[in-house]
Amino acid sequence: MDHLLPVEILEAGRAFPTALAACGDLDALLRLKGAYVGREGSHAARLMDLLKAAPKEQKRDLGAAINALKQQWEEGLKGRQAELEAAKKNLAALASNWDPALPPPVPAHGALHPLNRLMDRLVEVFRPLGFHVEEGPEVETEAHNFDGLNIPEDHPAKASSDTFYLAAHPELLLRTHTSPVQVRTLLRVAPDLAARGGIRFLAPGRVYRKDEIDPTHSPMFHQVEGMLVGHGIGMQHLKGTLEYALRALFGPHTEIRLRPSYFPFVEPGCEVDVSCPLCAAKGCRVCKGSGWVEILGAGLIHPNVLKYAGIDPTEWSGWAFGMGVERMAMMLSQTPDLRLFFENDQRFLRAMGGLD
Amino acid sequence: MWIERKVLAQEIPAAAGLATRQLCELLAALGFPVDGVATREGLETLDVDITANRGDAMSHRGLAREIAAKLGQSLKLIPLTEVQEQPPVVEVRLESPACPIYSTAVLELGAGNTPLDVQAFLLALESTPKRLAAVDASNELLHRYGHPTHAFDADRIQGAVSVRWVRPGETLVTLDGTTRTLVVGDLVIADESGPIALAGVMGGDGTKVTEATRRVLLESAWFDPRTVRAVARRHSLHTDASHRFGRGADPAMATVARDLLVGRLQAWCGARLVGAWTVGSRPATAPALDLDESLLTRVAGLRLSLDEASGALQRLGCAVTVRDQGLRVSPPSWRHDLAIAEDLAEEVLRLRGYEHIPSVLPPLEGPPEPLSGAYLQRHRLSRRLAHLGFHQTVTYGFISPEMDALFAAPGNPVEGRTLSNPLGQEYSVLRASLLSSLRASAEQNLRQGAREVRLFELAPTYVSGPQGPTEGHTLGVVWGGTLGGEDFLSPARRVKEADLGGIARDLGLAKLPQVQVLGEDLYGFEIPVAGLPEAGARIIPAFRPFSRFPAVERDLSLLVDLGQSYEALVVAMWSALPSEALLDLRCVDVFRHRSLPEGRQAWLMRMRFQAERTLVGEEVDGWVSAALVAAEALGARLRA
Repeated sequence: MDHLLPVEILEAGRAFPTALAACGDLDALLRLKGAYVGREGSHAARLMDLLKAAPKEQKRDLGAAINALKQQWEEGLKGRQAELEAAKKNLAALASNWDPALPPPVPAHGALHPLNRLMDRLVEVFRPLGFHVEEGPEVETEAHNFDGLNIPEDHPAKASSDTFYLAAHPELLLRTHTSPVQVRTLLRVAPDLAARGGIRFLAPGRVYRKDEIDPTHSPMFHQVEGMLVGHGIGMQHLKGTLEYALRALFGPHTEIRLRPSYFPFVEPGCEVDVSCPLCAAKGCRVCKGSGWVEILGAGLIHPNVLKYAGIDPTEWSGWAFGMGVERMAMMLSQTPDLRLFFENDQRFLRAMGGLD
Repeated sequence: MWIERKVLAQEIPAAAGLATRQLCELLAALGFPVDGVATREGLETLDVDITANRGDAMSHRGLAREIAAKLGQSLKLIPLTEVQEQPPVVEVRLESPACPIYSTAVLELGAGNTPLDVQAFLLALESTPKRLAAVDASNELLHRYGHPTHAFDADRIQGAVSVRWVRPGETLVTLDGTTRTLVVGDLVIADESGPIALAGVMGGDGTKVTEATRRVLLESAWFDPRTVRAVARRHSLHTDASHRFGRGADPAMATVARDLLVGRLQAWCGARLVGAWTVGSRPATAPALDLDESLLTRVAGLRLSLDEASGALQRLGCAVTVRDQGLRVSPPSWRHDLAIAEDLAEEVLRLRGYEHIPSVLPPLEGPPEPLSGAYLQRHRLSRRLAHLGFHQTVTYGFISPEMDALFAAPGNPVEGRTLSNPLGQEYSVLRASLLSSLRASAEQNLRQGAREVRLFELAPTYVSGPQGPTEGHTLGVVWGGTLGGEDFLSPARRVKEADLGGIARDLGLAKLPQVQVLGEDLYGFEIPVAGLPEAGARIIPAFRPFSRFPAVERDLSLLVDLGQSYEALVVAMWSALPSEALLDLRCVDVFRHRSLPEGRQAWLMRMRFQAERTLVGEEVDGWVSAALVAAEALGARLRA
């Protein structure tokens, strides 16, 4: 009897079970219902028109064929509707006879960015020592970014090949380190530094340098700055604090090592190495077999930095450190390419960031 | 900088006995970490990292001096050549204070060339020998003793030589073959025809020494570091000479290096000295510094006796006298970096070894400060969003002007937020909105096959202003793709605009932000973080009693126009209901279908009542009727 039916109707009939199964919700099902058995313009409506126009002797057979088809569609739709409604009602029936190994609905959690997570962890580590968080703008003045930090007028970092400047405001730049937060904070607290009993803070944040994007460089990256000002502060206090913090971060057996180095805003200056947290200082690819990993730069605050903020360096002294967050994150995770941290692929973020 | 071990050991014999690893550790402990070790020409060389303040250490002699001081050993004496100074052969005029001393000599070259061991030494340092005795000798001296010198072809110099500031319009073809247009502030060596060298940076092509050169004029001077740095930067010409002069060379070496150069040329190619002389004199030495015992002890955190300090500083070349509870210290001519007492304390500590610094936690002198409300708010917000299924992104703060224009508010002109020297057009504007960056990240995730993408970013956005851009922390959220369908209980469906409305509500926003359509099944919104409710000052809010009597729930299915405002309907119904008993009123379902009258839809409105007593059916019926009347006044009808 099928020979009586138009080809496209037969095609539609064959496609029906697939289309039905593909309906994920009641809206979709309603659309499918409209297309097959709706009052106007549907396949069923066309078939009824066909039946009306058919010669009398064909009407019986054609009618039977059409009814069979319509019934098949209607039953299918009804069944799927029941399924979808049941699904909507959380399939209470399944509670009685289901395999608990079936994958359950898992609440979809997201993730914090690994760089933020690492910065948060650093804040947590320093909190018990009385450090709070200071923040500053990313668009900074030359004075805060360079001058207040004892960086000479002709220092190469000031060149437009190294630092981004604003076109309409040539005196403004994108901060090249989190150190201007030191300058801002010291200027703010200088008048009542004695009443406060000094100051100690961390300054996590984003910084910018004019580096081309490649596996180890990015024009934007993160730093965490730490600073402490008090009476009689020396290198022993820097070492004591960093030893505490790095042990809290990497484990109680962690050792640290200070090496002389130079930064314009500290004197004396040092690089700080930590015993390799990946191989317990036995020697591996990350520490290049040395057992030590360079982790941050630090030193005692240069008297000129204190003076710039209006703090008397013969009464007050302090230390500061600065740490590259990406560098540490790459070291800890052995991520081979810095760009992954800025591509924001959810797979990377879930794997690396996660939740606390 | 490459250091060749044999030559190092010639300067400090004690270094010969050290294993490579010991030597590397010794240098690192002095502040000169070794980045690598290589063997070239059969010579072992170390790649030593030297900080910008230590121009004096940029040579074999310079590092040998450090090692000798650390080990308490003595340096080999420099094998000096006796050179008798004579009246000038060529007139040399110093016309700028940037060059206070200029030692020179004229020699007639003979036969002979650079010794093979010197060629090997230069090759080991990745420097190509030119097999021209005058050039190679100058180069060898630079690496060995750190003092840059230069040899001119004396027969190509016209008339008197002067060291002077450049004059307008002058040019110079430098040794690298580049024609350079000189600018005000450039210091040059000039003869009567014009500049023949950029002082302390690079020689000129016209007077360079070649195989044809018969007579050379040597230059061994001292140039002001600032001037050399500026010239090198202006012309992007960073040379071995500019690095050393730019960091401060040793003025005392000017005459010594000239003598050494003369001696080498005499020995290597039988050169005959025509005349040697010096113009000007060494710049004044820096004033002596006072180092108090108390500062020394404070910086180091351990008791360092004045005896030890004095010994250490003397080993480093300082002249030291003991005064009341401290030292008076005159740094040597090569240590321009020793400018304040702290610098001296660092030197004493450095020679003692940083490993001796004790480890002490600094005592609290005042109460710690709490974390700021703004910081905590962002901290909690990011956690909340992560728990709601969103992934925190970090994207660049600068974007392309095109991407910026899509979401920048009117009245926030791009000009005030544009960088003068961006990495490229696509990173040239400080963004007014996070949505462009978030959309790009979301689309990238979907292209990579993610079914669903949920991202957020907490970062500053910028508003142009007369004083420069102001920045405010902004929260951006995007959600797109297909939701659910990954287990037997959760049907799959497309993400809808309303889903983001739910997130905004969850964050406690009083007013729903405008949800932007960012693409097919991709939506987003952003708000200033300052607009989000902050955690209250109370740790736990004040208790508000709730009724223990049962609540009553009633549904009304209303036919309303497709254009009906939901808010207007809720307001109308709410005002018809008793506020003391109405707990909640909301639409719980929307039905749109052809079976409904043209232009209408059905909203299922749910009301929940509760009071401090048991509610009676009839009174609730009365309220619901009143709500229906209020809805009907807006054109709604009860759905049959």
